[in-house]
Amino acid sequence: MSKLVHPPKWPLMILRLILKEEYFEEVEGDMEEIFKNNLDRHSPKQAKMIYTWDVIRLLRPSLIKNFGIAQMLNPNSAMTIDNLKISLRVFSKEKSYTLINILGMSSGLAIALLIILYARFELSYETNNPLADRLVRVTMDYLNGETLIDQDCETYHPMGPRMLDEFSELVDFTRAHDIGETTVGIEEDFFREPKVYAADASFFELFNYPLIQGNPKNIFSAPYEAVLTETQAIQYFDHTDVLGESLWLSQFDKRFKITGIIPDSPPNTHLKVELLISYPSIKAAFGEEDYVWNNNSTLTYLLLSDQAMYPDFLKNLEAFNDRLHGEEKILNERIIAQPVKDIHLYSHKSYEAEKNGDATAVFFLLGVAILVIIIAIVNYINLSTSKSLDRAKEVGIRKVIGSSLGQLRLQFFTESFLINFFSGLFALTLMVFAIPTFRNMAGLPPGFHFVNDRIFWYIFITTILFSTLIAGIFPAFILSSFRPASVLKGRFSSSGKGIILRKTLVIFQFSITIFLLVQTLTAEQQLNYMQEKDLGLDIERTIVIRAPHTQELRGNYHTFKDELLAYPQFQSVSLSNCVPGLPSSEMGSTNVDVNLVGALEKQSFNFYIYFIDADFISTMKMSLKAGENFLTESKNQDLILVNEEAIRLWGIPSPEQAIGKQIDLWFKPRTIIGVIKDFHQASAKSAHIPMIFLYRPWFNRLASIRTQSGDVREDLALVNDVYQSVFPDSPFDYFFLDQEFDKQYRADDQFRQVFGTLTGFAILIACLGLFGLVSFTVAKRTKEIGVRKVLGANISQIVTLLSKDFISLIFFSMIISLPATYFLIEKWLEGYAFRIDLSAWLFFVPAMAVLAVSLVTVLVKTFKVSNVNPVLSLRDE
Amino acid sequence: MKKTKLGEFEELVLLTVAVLQENAYGVEIKRELEERLNERLSVGSIQSALKRMEQKGFLTSEFGEATKKRGGKRKRIYTATPYAQKVLAELKAIRADLWAAIPQPAISYKTI
Repeated sequence: MSKLVHPPKWPLMILRLILKEEYFEEVEGDMEEIFKNNLDRHSPKQAKMIYTWDVIRLLRPSLIKNFGIAQMLNPNSAMTIDNLKISLRVFSKEKSYTLINILGMSSGLAIALLIILYARFELSYETNNPLADRLVRVTMDYLNGETLIDQDCETYHPMGPRMLDEFSELVDFTRAHDIGETTVGIEEDFFREPKVYAADASFFELFNYPLIQGNPKNIFSAPYEAVLTETQAIQYFDHTDVLGESLWLSQFDKRFKITGIIPDSPPNTHLKVELLISYPSIKAAFGEEDYVWNNNSTLTYLLLSDQAMYPDFLKNLEAFNDRLHGEEKILNERIIAQPVKDIHLYSHKSYEAEKNGDATAVFFLLGVAILVIIIAIVNYINLSTSKSLDRAKEVGIRKVIGSSLGQLRLQFFTESFLINFFSGLFALTLMVFAIPTFRNMAGLPPGFHFVNDRIFWYIFITTILFSTLIAGIFPAFILSSFRPASVLKGRFSSSGKGIILRKTLVIFQFSITIFLLVQTLTAEQQLNYMQEKDLGLDIERTIVIRAPHTQELRGNYHTFKDELLAYPQFQSVSLSNCVPGLPSSEMGSTNVDVNLVGALEKQSFNFYIYFIDADFISTMKMSLKAGENFLTESKNQDLILVNEEAIRLWGIPSPEQAIGKQIDLWFKPRTIIGVIKDFHQASAKSAHIPMIFLYRPWFNRLASIRTQSGDVREDLALVNDVYQSVFPDSPFDYFFLDQEFDKQYRADDQFRQVFGTLTGFAILIACLGLFGLVSFTVAKRTKEIGVRKVLGANISQIVTLLSKDFISLIFFSMIISLPATYFLIEKWLEGYAFRIDLSAWLFFVPAMAVLAVSLVTVLVKTFKVSNVNPVLSLRDE
Repeated sequence: MKKTKLGEFEELVLLTVAVLQENAYGVEIKRELEERLNERLSVGSIQSALKRMEQKGFLTSEFGEATKKRGGKRKRIYTATPYAQKVLAELKAIRADLWAAIPQPAISYKTI
């Protein structure tokens, strides 16, 4: 029976192709004998597998055919001085060709390497923390029935301790409670701190902050302790030896004792800290007990005993959710978990510790960087194979003299290596100059540089070697395969594979270019659209200042306002807890049963709460759809304004009908007196959020001042003067509303700039490639052109004749790339709540631009050739 | 030893060839060595060792008989050259000297 089973066919075919012929009979015989032997002991299937595996393991340098490579690597012929010399001669003979190659390759490399650096940084988040793999953050989803309404990073205070009790997979937890913007007082100096966290003692271990000073045993065990980073200590005290000193925090109106100094946060962590206070301080100051489930404002991190326990943990989390629902600790909420390592790129919830990055953008750019390198390599292949006409005779002569295939290939690889090597050096130079700009563009930390980054150098060397190999392999194999007899006789035809390869490469390059161009243009349009969109308010000419740090001073607000309004350049002054453009985390939000009074069906949406005075609407130039504004000096306590999005959620059909309706909010009915036209709280990237406005004319957070036309700097100086006189000793902290608002577009702007630059280079490189191809074709047809001219063709006819082919290539690229482009861009735009519609011209203009640029490239070369006197071109034989 | 290097695995293959005499061809060498080392070897590792040693002059070879089991393909029979015999003997002597030079207690400690 075993006689019927034969060894598998395809491994044998590979073997015949690769193995040295003289070994073939013996090895094949051996293999077959072993196969037959194996059949006695194993199943046919197993025997075949062993056979295949053995074939693969036969692929050893000493057994396989010499493809010129072994010879190339032979120390006797490897990279001799001759190869270098000849390469350099070729380069100096063809200066423009070499320059084009190096320019294309180095700019491609520089761009790609910068983007790889950026991606590496974005992907490196939390890698400084050895416990990061085991750290999990729990967050909350707000639900309305089964629909997800909002995601919140912050959870309730008792969550951490309780989960540690009830989950066997957990070994520790830590909480970080953002106590909000605080003024820090050091003797007579005051500093504004946007983020101060109250943290548990375990924070230092879990987030890898070894105490430089202070006792880790009893740190953060008592209320009113503070820990500073080194930089922060220097900022406050000018030195780091500050253990036992104290600082005053406005939020508590208490002095905190410094019990520890920690290193600065690394730039690549999602939770950056400067000043921490002990968790017991919150309890001592605000009476927030660990068993009270009413304030979900703390970030909660859990430490798993092992990374592998995560799936078990998730399973138990479901049961935990059910238990909490049963106890009514949580109502329309669900606790979910995310690994800390995923936060930076994948988490976009409300109340994030900082604005996170975007995985899609990172991978998108990385993809484009690889495309740019490919374009550059394609370019090199294109240019060097197009030089084959010149090199054909050289190859012929070398072969006649006795050069081996290996030596010839080595020559071409040497050239490819040298081009790549010089391009690498040039790319490094470009990068050194570009890195400060790039840091800004990509939002990288100030100290970011590649020189000390060992991994970067590995990537660099790998890229150079890889592109040497890829770029060299085509010339090495195509050019060295010319038959000396025919090329030396002058019968050189490259109508075959070479031309098709080059045309395919050009089509490929231009398809990518068109895509990049359309994407750039769309990004530009989208950004303009967002920035120029009617926001529903006026952010121009508005100065926003922050409240002074003590309660007594805040009482002077009316003096401040009156003094300002005495000047004609100030139109109005208003109070609020937040302004448009600031993250919604600056506002409060509530999802506890905010419904129409008497509503049959209770919904649970998350509403954001604005505290404003009567001047806010007019200062911001918002408009009312229906009803009226709060009245100054009247009882507004139980009256509210809402925005259109809010009434939509309550199911009220029109703004007019909303007036007079009552809403339950914080267990009290409140009457709607006006509906504000939807305005963009955040950028036009995100959808409108439901908002409720309460009348709270207190100077706790912000005051906005609208100025008349005039010199903004003078206005600002004036505000400062008034501020200093009314609120002595308080730091004057301000921002311009429009600038703050536009910060939200920074990520889009960065993306647009990076993309634009990439596109520029892609076009440049693609045109260089086209130029190379045109030069080649034109050179081949010099005689034909001569004959045509002699026979009476005029220049325009010849130019048309020569350009026709290339222009059709460009058209072909368009046909290929436009549908794919449409699809990808439509996808990209889906990420924006308010977006432009794709119009035909977004595709038409880039396509025409590419056509025009390539037309110019083609014409420059063809025009030159068609002008040559036919006598010159025909005499050459 | 000296100038021409003989790897550890090559030495084993070479010795096997010497053992098998006129039966020393790929499959047999592999089988014999697998038995003695008690591990599976690939055809590639044996073949490349054989080819390397042939180039270094340790082995000569000639075609032998063809069998039906081999699909009618001839065997290649390997023979160790006198030079190889000499090198093997030298290696053995060097090893023996080294073993003899190890102080006795050291060995007895090891074997405990």
